[in-house]
Amino acid sequence: MKVTIKKWTGVATWKWVANDDNCGICRMAFDGCCPDCKLPGDDCPLVWGQCSHCFHMHCIVKWLQSQPVNQQCPMCRQEWKFNNK
Amino acid sequence: MCVVCHLFTNLKWFSQNLDIVDMTSSNHLDIKYQWDPSRDGDSAILTPTASVRIKRDLLEIFKDPPPGIYVVGDESDIRYVHAIIVGVMDTPYEGGFFYFLLKCPADYPILPPKVKFMTTDAGRVRFNPNLYKNGKVCLSILGTWTGPAWSPAQQISTVLLSIQSLMNEKPYYNEPGYDRERTPGDAKRYNEYLRHETLRVAVCGMLENECHLSIPPQLVEMMESTFLQFFDLYTETCRDNLRSDGEFYIDPFGGNTGCNFEYTKILERLETIRSNLQKKQNIPVSLPFTDGEGSDEKDV
Repeated sequence: MKVTIKKWTGVATWKWVANDDNCGICRMAFDGCCPDCKLPGDDCPLVWGQCSHCFHMHCIVKWLQSQPVNQQCPMCRQEWKFNNK
Repeated sequence: MCVVCHLFTNLKWFSQNLDIVDMTSSNHLDIKYQWDPSRDGDSAILTPTASVRIKRDLLEIFKDPPPGIYVVGDESDIRYVHAIIVGVMDTPYEGGFFYFLLKCPADYPILPPKVKFMTTDAGRVRFNPNLYKNGKVCLSILGTWTGPAWSPAQQISTVLLSIQSLMNEKPYYNEPGYDRERTPGDAKRYNEYLRHETLRVAVCGMLENECHLSIPPQLVEMMESTFLQFFDLYTETCRDNLRSDGEFYIDPFGGNTGCNFEYTKILERLETIRSNLQKKQNIPVSLPFTDGEGSDEKDV
């Protein structure tokens, strides 16, 4: 039997690779976006701290901006430093 | 060690008296009542994150309710949350209903909720060194006390659990500088006072709603069914303590307030409340709540 493919559509999925399912600040799924955004993906990225905790960038930035001194990770209270890996 | 304690006592004295100082400043309302959800004057609209987070916080409590903690969202304003903590067994608060009003700020969870303790007999009883008569709750995560501050990883249930842990077996020692009794027996006498006030204010007062608090009906229902379950415990405590009737007690932390022990009167109030509740339950009406009440009766 011979099969002729007339048309095909490729489907791909993507996933953030994070060590948790939800953002500890807004508690939304990492595969979704923060509540201030409409679409997940590059417009609502995830960021990691050196303590290895991970948040929506929009969420952690709001928290850090509210803390002029003593910027700590919301989860472990260690000093917050972005992990630029 | 001693120096540290005194420093804390002074700090607390200072923060209490700062209120009076603030009265003279022009915007004293804002500063004085910043902690107070019913008077802070904050009417800012919630961010999308805040309203989603409040719903999540409530949902998590509904899904996995912490023992002794009951929570209802406000029907007309999502920023407000009503909570009742039922006093834990083997503490002077056992079986009491302690009502708290929470208000989430516009940028919750960046800032903590504001909390007011409502079961104060209209501002007359300080139920704990950290629960003031005016309703202020002294807790570091609320920003009203020194210690570990709020973090956005915390939520409504963590606030309520922290308050529940303040209401422990020996709350006397919560007060800084009172890690040792001033006179032997002080901690026990303080407990006896709290036990009396729990029955008078947090059981009878709450069921009669003598202070006209607007408690959501779901929480009222919970109080009524819990009251009937705990009724024997309440009356037993009264009978065990009848001989202290007529004694006067001054709250070491409550300024010049205190109470006359009157367990006989409390016993009468408890009986009246029970017979009213039983009458209410026996009326065969088709209220939407009758199903719930039926199942409660089976549990008893």
